[in-house]
Amino acid sequence: MAAAMEMSEADQIKTFKDFLVQYNKLSELCFNDCVHDFTSRTLRSTEEKCILNCMDKYLRTNQRVSQRFHEFQMIANENMMALAQKSGNPS
Amino acid sequence: MMSDMYNRLVGACHRKCIPIKYYEPELGKGESVCLDRCVAKYLDVHERIGKKLSNMSQGETEDLTKINLQDKK
Repeated sequence: MAAAMEMSEADQIKTFKDFLVQYNKLSELCFNDCVHDFTSRTLRSTEEKCILNCMDKYLRTNQRVSQRFHEFQMIANENMMALAQKSGNPS
Repeated sequence: MMSDMYNRLVGACHRKCIPIKYYEPELGKGESVCLDRCVAKYLDVHERIGKKLSNMSQGETEDLTKINLQDKK
């Protein structure tokens, strides 16, 4: 029980770490792509809009890539299973 | 290891398919199709390189065993 709790805590820390890495990456990407003008201290409304769109688009990109990635993985797994069955019992 | 590959995949396809002008939050049709193809191609490249590498290392181990056998003679 204690081991399971500890495990989940380690998992939680890992998830949080992954989240922070993603968060930093997203900030860097959208900052680099959207903010070019340093004549004022505050974000312009166009920059703000760009950043929000950038974030949304990146998340949608990630979602779509993840869908396709899993489809390909499923197909690869099925092929492996078929191959294993074929070589397992030669008829 | 797999998640490293996945993160690189997302990074590469985002860089190649999404223009840096963020006028709208949705993915456009062209962008979506580009992403689909990008994933397919990336995984194809990944597989080919994996095969090539494993062939190379197999060839190397074969060469090594040959050399070892010759040394013994």
